[in-house]
Amino acid sequence: MGSNYPQIAASFLVLATLLSGTAAHADGVGAGTLIENTATATYDAGDGPVTIPSNTVTVRVDELLDVTVTSLNSGPVAASSGTAVLTFEVTNTGNGPEAYVLTANPAVAGNDFDTTIDTIAIDTNGNGVYDPGVDEVLTSPATTRLLDADENLTVFVIVSVPGDALDGEASDVDLLAEAVTGTGAPGTVYTGQGVDGGDAIVGAGGADDNAIGSILIGVTSVDLIKAASISDPFGGTSAVPGSVVTYTITANVSGSGAVTELVVTDIFPAGTSYEAGSLALDSASLTDASDADAGEASSSGISVNLGTVAGGTSHSVTFDVTID
Amino acid sequence: MKNFAKFAAAIFLASGVIAASSPAIAQGRAIDLKGYVKLEKIITGNDGATSVELVEPETIVPGDKLIFGTDYSNNSAEAVSNFVVTNPIPSAVRLAPVASSDLTVSVDGGANWGKLATLSVEQGDGTKRPAQHADVTHVRWTLAAVAPGEKGRLEYPAIIR
Repeated sequence: MGSNYPQIAASFLVLATLLSGTAAHADGVGAGTLIENTATATYDAGDGPVTIPSNTVTVRVDELLDVTVTSLNSGPVAASSGTAVLTFEVTNTGNGPEAYVLTANPAVAGNDFDTTIDTIAIDTNGNGVYDPGVDEVLTSPATTRLLDADENLTVFVIVSVPGDALDGEASDVDLLAEAVTGTGAPGTVYTGQGVDGGDAIVGAGGADDNAIGSILIGVTSVDLIKAASISDPFGGTSAVPGSVVTYTITANVSGSGAVTELVVTDIFPAGTSYEAGSLALDSASLTDASDADAGEASSSGISVNLGTVAGGTSHSVTFDVTID
Repeated sequence: MKNFAKFAAAIFLASGVIAASSPAIAQGRAIDLKGYVKLEKIITGNDGATSVELVEPETIVPGDKLIFGTDYSNNSAEAVSNFVVTNPIPSAVRLAPVASSDLTVSVDGGANWGKLATLSVEQGDGTKRPAQHADVTHVRWTLAAVAPGEKGRLEYPAIIR
């Protein structure tokens, strides 16, 4: 029976390595985890209670391959021209370390126009924003590092918007992630390609996933129209000394986007004097002082800060001057 | 590690070692226990009908259903009594919901025993909730006696967490 001793030693080694697999995760036991089962029997054969163990059966959990891709953009990314950045999250939903090949496809059916993929980058500093020169750009074929089970990675797809894209046009970009070990029908087995030389098996998701990010072109333009009306001291409309000229500057913002920090300024014509307190925005009076309200008037002219103005809206600025 | 872990290790403990802790064994073992594990695999035929087969666990992943079993046999000439087989459930699996509701189980590491429906689990806030299959830590079978030459099989289904 002495030959059994090495086997007993081996059984203790098994116990020692019970937890050597990838740590357990919410999505399942880690690949490489050893599952061991031993029953114990007690009985009475006439000489008092006897306790004996069964043999221990051991199986190892294989590697499940799966992944999810989601768009992290809350809606279409507004773009005009140049580049736009789409943000995705790639999550290893398998139970072992796995890397993924990323493919961005800009030619999605239904696109008004197609963008050009510039680069795929990883959010190296983890701030959720693409930082050129800081975030690692993946060289083709774009392959992530090994992601642990349940680990996720923020991925940026940087695209170029063609110059002829029109206001209001939309374009989708599809990001596909595929397990490096392999993809296929659920249940497909890659023998020996899992953790520690175990098998890898394709999970319910096929070990690949994709998500769509959208770009919406918002070209916004501003037209300023200036009009004047004159009332002379005699009840007419002649431009004579003492006549009051009311200027109306209408800012028409068109397009699907918005403009920011829109400031309307005007200089008083030579030979006129500003009528103190006459400045108004959309018929609401503004003080002349440089203060909390949007407008101010100086000796030379007026300035009204409209801030961010959405396309499709207009605002009018009015003020009066008197002809000297 | 691959070959080692792939095979359902059948490691029999030497009776000489058991003798160190249990003198009764030195006189010969009346009962033999043999553990095994199978993978329950659903096979879909060409006609779309499915059937369940028990196969060697060549490839297993979380969610798979395993059958852990123990074959016992009384190889002696004498009957044994108070035969109790206790099986701790490996932490990487949970007792499958299809397990018999009559099975005697423990949800506290073997301190208390009963049918699952009669057991409860203390929660972090001190309150108790009914025990669930995933709470089971041990299963146990009790036979009043095993006659000479009698054989049997005890098994429980488990799902890999």
